[in-house]
Amino acid sequence: MLKYIIKRLLMLIPVLIGVSIIVFVIMRVFSPDPAPIVLGQHATIEKIDAWREANGLNDPVHIQYLNFVKGVFTGDLGNSYYTKTPVTKEIFSRFPATIELAVSAILFASFFGIIIGTISAVKKNSIFDSAGMVTALIGVSMPIFWLGIILIIIFSGTLHWLPSGGRIDPLLYPDKITGFYLIDSLLTGNMPAFKDTLLHLILPSCALGMYSMAIIARITRSSMLETLGQDYIRTARAKGISEGRVVRKHALRNALVPIVTVIGLQLGSLLGGAVLTETVFSWPGIGSYTVNCILKSDFPVVQGVVMLVAITFVIINLVVDVIYAFLDPRIKYAKKEA
Amino acid sequence: MKKVLKLLSLVLVIALIGASFAACSKQGTPGGSNASGNSGSSPANAASDTIVFAQGAEPRGLDPALVDDGESSKVIVNIYEGLLKYANDSTALEPALAESWDVSPDGLTYTFHLRKGVKFHDGTDFNAEAVKYNIERQMQGNATEEMGYADFVFGYVTKVEAADEHTVVVTLKDVSTPFLYNLAMSMAAPMVSPAALEANNNNVNEAPVGTGPYKFVRWDKDQSIVLTRNDEYWGEKALTKNVIFRFIKDNSARVVALNNNEVDIIDGIDATVVDQITAAGNVVDQPDGMNINYMAYNTATGVFTNPAARKAFSQAVNVPELVASLYQGYASPADTVLPTFVPGFSPAIKQVAYDEAAAKAGLEAAGVKDVHVITYSNPRPYNTANGQVLAEAVQGYLSKVGVNLDIEVFDWTTYKEKVRAGDYDICFYGWTGDNGDPDNFMSLLSDKDPTMNVSRYDNAEFNALIAKGKGTPEGADRDAVYAQLEQIQVDDNPWMLVSHSKLLSAYNPKIKDYYYHVTGNIFFSGMSKS
Repeated sequence: MLKYIIKRLLMLIPVLIGVSIIVFVIMRVFSPDPAPIVLGQHATIEKIDAWREANGLNDPVHIQYLNFVKGVFTGDLGNSYYTKTPVTKEIFSRFPATIELAVSAILFASFFGIIIGTISAVKKNSIFDSAGMVTALIGVSMPIFWLGIILIIIFSGTLHWLPSGGRIDPLLYPDKITGFYLIDSLLTGNMPAFKDTLLHLILPSCALGMYSMAIIARITRSSMLETLGQDYIRTARAKGISEGRVVRKHALRNALVPIVTVIGLQLGSLLGGAVLTETVFSWPGIGSYTVNCILKSDFPVVQGVVMLVAITFVIINLVVDVIYAFLDPRIKYAKKEA
Repeated sequence: MKKVLKLLSLVLVIALIGASFAACSKQGTPGGSNASGNSGSSPANAASDTIVFAQGAEPRGLDPALVDDGESSKVIVNIYEGLLKYANDSTALEPALAESWDVSPDGLTYTFHLRKGVKFHDGTDFNAEAVKYNIERQMQGNATEEMGYADFVFGYVTKVEAADEHTVVVTLKDVSTPFLYNLAMSMAAPMVSPAALEANNNNVNEAPVGTGPYKFVRWDKDQSIVLTRNDEYWGEKALTKNVIFRFIKDNSARVVALNNNEVDIIDGIDATVVDQITAAGNVVDQPDGMNINYMAYNTATGVFTNPAARKAFSQAVNVPELVASLYQGYASPADTVLPTFVPGFSPAIKQVAYDEAAAKAGLEAAGVKDVHVITYSNPRPYNTANGQVLAEAVQGYLSKVGVNLDIEVFDWTTYKEKVRAGDYDICFYGWTGDNGDPDNFMSLLSDKDPTMNVSRYDNAEFNALIAKGKGTPEGADRDAVYAQLEQIQVDDNPWMLVSHSKLLSAYNPKIKDYYYHVTGNIFFSGMSKS
């Protein structure tokens, strides 16, 4: 198992090389020249050229790439063209917000998705099944930005129950320890901040999690239906085990492998930045920030974010694979154990 | 044993993730927040002691020398001050950090007498050396490429001397009355603490230290900037203790935040949401902005080299009607190039009046039949509809007098290239003022650069008057020069003026003494919240 994990981590190297080359080339080939954007309306041709020279943009692309790789190894991803702030600082000041939102969204999605899927499967072809699957269909079909705006209009604009956007009331910031406001406010015993953060999380988590919830509900239903038809379920029932126990202990656990895969993949893509949700809810995460940086041709930031997201994806997939082994004892990763 | 191994693997993976998160937070700590060393806990308790303003984008930075965007400017003007400032309702100049100034008879030497007893937020003294430091930082040779406004504001300066503790002498290479206006700008001109610049490697984008009525507290990236009252301020202290700038990109979300009482003031709105805002009991503010939206005739080649043809064409367009229908009251028809609040504005000037019959006769006499028009596809600050809609409105009027407009539409970048190439009879353009000086608007028509002077207008008398205006000290004589220039514009008609676009913002009626400055900045020190 340990050997497997190390092998998987070593696979990060070719992945990162591939991803970095792709993002490097795409940014330089398809993005407009950053110099006029950075220098503004009073920029002269001479100034633009001097700026390009100073930022190494006049070098051949392969030299620029090698310089970038050198930077990666020394932990220096360069400075944002636009704000002059180190890229690592720009990214890591926003990444906790993205993680907090993605994790809440996936918790929301998993909780309701699995419940809806299970009920639909157990009560197959009943009114519950139809209602559950219609909910799932709506969740899959509804555009996130539209759902977000509707939620804001209903719960903030009309009912005034929840804040319309942002991560916390700026007057309630908890002291910074981890960057995750829920954790920081608990650690510092700042309950008003904790409550406010939770309130701010509700609408964006629902909007962001809706799609994942629908996918999870559908997968849960089909996986459960398959499991419920297995012989061992019939055996369990024949042994007189209560239906609830059969569903939870015998069927659901065995149906979980594909569900966990989907949850892992969904979490990965949510961490990659939920651009629309972040924009609609003014959520200070990595997604909307990256899009802004792409529009401004801020190469160093975009490269840094893409690398980070690639690493995150690989690690989450690894975690999912390790969880399989717990869910299904038949899955082994080391040859010795096979 | 297997189970133990599995458990160990899981713990290892979790530890790995944990470690990367820990790295995040460690790297993040010195980030946006707590830059001032503040503990990070709430700077205020009472909500009425706090005004929350929501803008559409995050500032680029808070170092006035290193930024060029309006969103940065709104924060900067509350933290910093320049030697001069604009009056509340116009761009007339008033003393700020300089109590007074003298200009030598040859117009080349400016002596500024500085206010005494002023301190930067870091406790260091504001004095002549600080002024010298700030100007020299942006003079030719020292300015970096990122200092977008350094050349515009300080390009004429050849020497800065601290004559004594509170007197600064600045020498220019050529006469330039606009220089004084530059010193009131929110870009480049505000005075930054030299100690802070030295401590922050010549970049105070995230650690701004000025002399203004508000001090910087913290900046949480993509969320908010918090300022608190400078209790040692030399002038009248700010009425409200805290000001929070929030960044809400989505327009409708910004409106909901206002209507939901989450924020007190918003800007960057358009006419479509005005009803929604007023229905919720909030107030919309709409002063004229510092801009001009115009249609330019190509005076260098083609049918419009003839001034009579230009005038006849302008007569065919009912500009007030067009502006009313196109901008729904959120722009006012322009009679002068200069907005009303810019010094040198002359109320007596009137543009060519609408007269369909005269236009028809004039255009026929000049042989104007088919006109090649180029325009832009996207909205601009001075034209919140877009160039195409405006061109088509003009096309409608001209079809009534038998003239056919052939309109080509381009995105802004391509459009600028087309303008540079010069293959058009008419193009649409506009200008947003930089410094509130009349020269900043009128000299466009004497500029040698065809992307600035899109009419390619070249009139010796006009050019001479521009030079005269630049060298004449402020006052009635200078104003008369600009009145003359406006009149030449009307008579010779290189431009058909369209409109001055308004600046739309909205606020909660609890805000007292609200004002949004004509330069697009918002000053909070005089505002309070009941």
